[in-house]
Amino acid sequence: MRLQFVLAEIASGLRRNLSMVVSVILVTFVSLTFVGAAGMLQLQINQMKGYWYDKVQVAIFLCSDGSTAAGCATGPATPEQQENLGKLLESPAVAQYVNDFQFESKDDAYKHFKEQFSNSPIVDSVTPDQLPASFRINMKDPEKYQIISETFSSQAGVETVIDQRQLLERLFSVMNAASLVAVSVAGVMIVCAILLIATTIRLSAFSRRRETGIMRLVGASKMVIQLPFILEGVIAAVIGAGLASATLWAVAHFFLGGYLSQQYPDTAFISAGQTLILAPALIGLGVLLAGVSSLLTLRRYLKV
Amino acid sequence: MIRFENVTKVYDQKARPALDSINLEIDRGEFAFLVGASGSGKSTFLRLVLKEDRASSGAVYVAGQNVANISSWRVPRLRRGIGVVFQDFRLLPQKTVFANVAFAMQVIGKSRSVIRDTVPEVLKTVGLEGKENRLPHELSGGEQQRVAIARAVVNRPGILLADEPTGNLDPTTSMGIMGVLDKINQNGTTVVMATHDDDIVNEMRKRVVELRNGVIIRDEAKALYTSMIPVVGASRRLRDASGREPEPAAATRSEARAEARAAGEAQL
Ligand SMILES: Nc1ncnc2c1ncn2[C@@H]1O[C@H](COP(=O)(O)OP(=O)(O)OP(=O)(O)O)[C@@H](O)[C@H]1O
Ligand SMILES: [Mg+2]
Repeated sequence: MRLQFVLAEIASGLRRNLSMVVSVILVTFVSLTFVGAAGMLQLQINQMKGYWYDKVQVAIFLCSDGSTAAGCATGPATPEQQENLGKLLESPAVAQYVNDFQFESKDDAYKHFKEQFSNSPIVDSVTPDQLPASFRINMKDPEKYQIISETFSSQAGVETVIDQRQLLERLFSVMNAASLVAVSVAGVMIVCAILLIATTIRLSAFSRRRETGIMRLVGASKMVIQLPFILEGVIAAVIGAGLASATLWAVAHFFLGGYLSQQYPDTAFISAGQTLILAPALIGLGVLLAGVSSLLTLRRYLKV
Repeated sequence: MIRFENVTKVYDQKARPALDSINLEIDRGEFAFLVGASGSGKSTFLRLVLKEDRASSGAVYVAGQNVANISSWRVPRLRRGIGVVFQDFRLLPQKTVFANVAFAMQVIGKSRSVIRDTVPEVLKTVGLEGKENRLPHELSGGEQQRVAIARAVVNRPGILLADEPTGNLDPTTSMGIMGVLDKINQNGTTVVMATHDDDIVNEMRKRVVELRNGVIIRDEAKALYTSMIPVVGASRRLRDASGREPEPAAATRSEARAEARAAGEAQL
């Protein structure tokens, strides 16, 4: 009975305050979309980092079938060449700069490639043979990249030595800046959302002061009196969060998956499905916004 | 049932207290009128019983419990034991008579079947049988007040507080309402009624507590609206101004009232 009563109160409150409720939905929608966009950029950065990014700094790629580099004139790297490179890495001259290194075979390379590009069509057209084997080196001091590069570039069987961090770090700093902007915009919008929810609840409490006055007098509990107002805000915020999640999904699905991944086939993009892990966070944030602002408002305007 | 011990209520530090060192006890099952000029503190008294306001000093006991010791989340339980009726009825205009009364039960979580059984019974007690589906604006003032009384007592409170319940009603209708309140009192509910209506007080002959400037200046059983005994010099002027020495016109009017009240009770 009490639940039914609370539900009926919520329905009538939402109906009476429809325009305010719609604006709460829109403001939470926009603010949470910005929050979600920042989250999506971070997911994308992680995706592009791939298997090795956080583990190593320098990669020595060995010659493979299609290599055209000068050092690869003799064809793919032989097992002896590979062994020599390993020994060189362990020699004291080099080892003093190296924390640790790992060998990535063609098969390993293929496995990691498949993981990173799982959302791209390119994954179907690549075979293990096309991917070079490599040594992945974790440097004691990443700044000493030049030393490794000079030592190994001229070795037989080495196609190229790259500092993979340098390649991606510029891009990542741009993306991080973009997330920061998104979060800042979201911050302002969230303040808007909180104030708007507070105003909505105040209006709602005012328009129903007759009912709440009677409820107080006949001894309705604080929860029965306040819950409809709190849930009104929460429902509106959850709808806004749902719209924001749907928007992020649509962006990932149609823009990243449908357009950008065609334009840049050699970049790993997040899948639409991955954006859905943001949805619970956004909905939680929406509930928190509405809950906190309505509690603060009701403390002042709906004394029991 | 209600006990005030040395209760003082100060709203505004600069003004005189709204209630000043009040000592009063109202027993279970009693019917008491609170009378006194406007601003004498009658509504303040009722608000303190409901814990709508806190006493500035002294202690208010309701059903043996000091209301100052009731934590805020338990205040609703205190109020479930007290019904309240006001001068302005305070009905919900979009709800029918039945729904207005049922509302008081819904919000404290009574089941639908209990509501279906109880509401018609209470509506019968206040004399509103057959008007369940009317809206408040389709009722006369007296009928609206009966709905308000039904709502106040539907949860069977031990105390009924009425703040000028007949303030908006004509004398005959007022007597009908008094009949309802009397009936509720006879069923065991303690009734405290603040009023300006001298005819009603004189008619009912119940306990009268008179306040002036926040002080009790009279507390008499089976009393009249104005004191039979001169109290203080200043009150004599007051009494003379509103004085009602029996005069022929008043006598017949009071007879008409008695009939109306009897009619009100007959409906119960
Ligand atoms: N909320 C309040 N804030 C400040 N002063 C108040 C408040 N309520 C009442 N007062 C003051 O307390 C005094 C007593 O008021 P109260 O309402 O109890 O009088 P009353 O006897 O009910 O009068 P009436 O017969 O006109 O209803 C008055 O002087 C009033 O101005
Ligand atoms: Mg008053």
